[in-house]
Amino acid sequence: MSERDRRRLVFATLAVALPLALLAALSLGSVPLAAGGVLRSAFARLGLGGPSPLPEMGEVILWSVRFPRVLIAALVGGGLAVVGASLQSLFRNPLADAGLLGVGPGAALGAVLAVNLGWAHERFLAMPLAACAGALLALLLIYAIAHAGGRPTLSGLLLTGLAVSALAAAGTSVLLVATEEFRVRTVLFWLAGGLEGRGYEHLALAAAFVLPGALGLLLLARPLDVLSLGEEEAAALSLPVHGVRILVFGLCALVAGPVTAVAGAVPFVGLIAPHALRALVGPLSRRLLPASFLAGAVLVVVADIAARSFGEYVELPLGSVTAFVGAPYFLLALRGQEGRG
Amino acid sequence: MSAVIETRGLWVERGGRAVLRGLDLVLRRGEGLALVGPNAAGKSTLVRTLAGLLPAARGEVLLEGRPLAAWPRSGVATRVALVAAEDEAPLRLAVEDRVALGRYPHRGPLAPFTDDDRSAVRRALRQTEIEHLARRSLGTLSAGERQLALLARGLAQDPAVLLLDEPAAHLDVRHQLHLFRVLDDVRQRGVAVLAVIHDLPRAAAWAPRMALLDEGRIAAEGSPSEVLESAAAARAFGVAIRGVAVGDGPERLWRFEERA
Repeated sequence: MSERDRRRLVFATLAVALPLALLAALSLGSVPLAAGGVLRSAFARLGLGGPSPLPEMGEVILWSVRFPRVLIAALVGGGLAVVGASLQSLFRNPLADAGLLGVGPGAALGAVLAVNLGWAHERFLAMPLAACAGALLALLLIYAIAHAGGRPTLSGLLLTGLAVSALAAAGTSVLLVATEEFRVRTVLFWLAGGLEGRGYEHLALAAAFVLPGALGLLLLARPLDVLSLGEEEAAALSLPVHGVRILVFGLCALVAGPVTAVAGAVPFVGLIAPHALRALVGPLSRRLLPASFLAGAVLVVVADIAARSFGEYVELPLGSVTAFVGAPYFLLALRGQEGRG
Repeated sequence: MSAVIETRGLWVERGGRAVLRGLDLVLRRGEGLALVGPNAAGKSTLVRTLAGLLPAARGEVLLEGRPLAAWPRSGVATRVALVAAEDEAPLRLAVEDRVALGRYPHRGPLAPFTDDDRSAVRRALRQTEIEHLARRSLGTLSAGERQLALLARGLAQDPAVLLLDEPAAHLDVRHQLHLFRVLDDVRQRGVAVLAVIHDLPRAAAWAPRMALLDEGRIAAEGSPSEVLESAAAARAFGVAIRGVAVGDGPERLWRFEERA
């Protein structure tokens, strides 16, 4: 099979897998709905075909509960995967990931600060914006520390991410202690992560940040490729290296902040999707970023199905599902990386 | 012939220390110049300054008669290409895609590639004789093939000046000969080529002209024999250098001896 055929096959597979995963996620749950019924209900909503065959209760569950939740899962996964792919090019490291670089904890710190100061009660957008700011701060801090001594090694980068994560988590704990009791419940519910109880306002929030952010990163595909050649070569090819990096950080924070604000920490998605796809579609960003978006979306939609299907009355946190899959993957990839020197 | 790129009284500092100290150098169209000198003489600094990556503290670099600092970044990168000793590109990148990134200065971040770009990439692959490797990923190449891919990226920039920093450092003798033959082809098309070369006999065998850099200045300049047999070269390298004529031609065998 030629390289081009393989790429086409990958994109075709992802383009089929995503609608299938979405349909499965809409059908499965504590009240199962037949996939055919879900489709016909959707057509009925669009004014196509006959009336929906679902009972009224099914309609409510499908459109008020599952539909926004499932789309949020897709946006969260797609957004995190595009951020992961971009950071991997920027740090020239195939194992960079927003979660490992402390972006999630940074976003959490920002969000908790917004709750602590009461901003989150006054304005709906305060928490996601504070999360963006926290994520950006974490990225800039890691960039400044890791690049202080030239190009960072993989272990240097991961250790810096570890330190920044620990710092942000410590800040979050301190803030929690200092937060009034009636607000702590909000924070804890949110820090646990997951997509339970997320509705259309969260969907709108995720879409408003993730889609423009991901599109912005896609527009930077060629600069990201030039950057992946190394700082000196990029500069010699007339790329404004520093400016592009800051722009990429800003867009990554724009995506990762609200994603964290909506879904909590969803680790490893941003690592697995681009890392696996790099081998299949190659490292050029104009292919890697869209493919990663699709794969990340599928991954989190499926992970959310698993989180909901665990038991009848309890849900697993979404973040632990992705971690159960992602951590072993990461360790295997890390071994492969070390083996290569 | 007029100078494509020249330096006038160039001073460059790195880490607060003056590395180049009032350096004058002229490079003309189609000329080949080997830059030699002991470790830490400032060779890499000079090459990077000519590529616009390091600022001049005093003096200036003129590109086509205009100060380098007055050029837009893309204006420099469409005229001056820098090829380093090490290729740091991602290993999964295909050779052709790697070479095509050399068109970035011509197209910028968003403009789609045109036929001009595609033919420049093809020409670069042909000149370096790596067309058959176009779809291979960098990780599957030998060190010599990777260096040729890196050179092809520089040629895809369609430069007037090609700067190379130790281009043959990791190459076996066959790949070295290949690389220097490509550089001669490039020169014949009017491109000025300046190469930092550590291996003195290799530099002398290739270059029509040689410049010796010592303590941030050009200490000797001329034909390889003139430069290597000069007192300045013996002083700079701290060794005795003797050229032994081979036959009647200008070719020399070079002998180096530690001085007591």
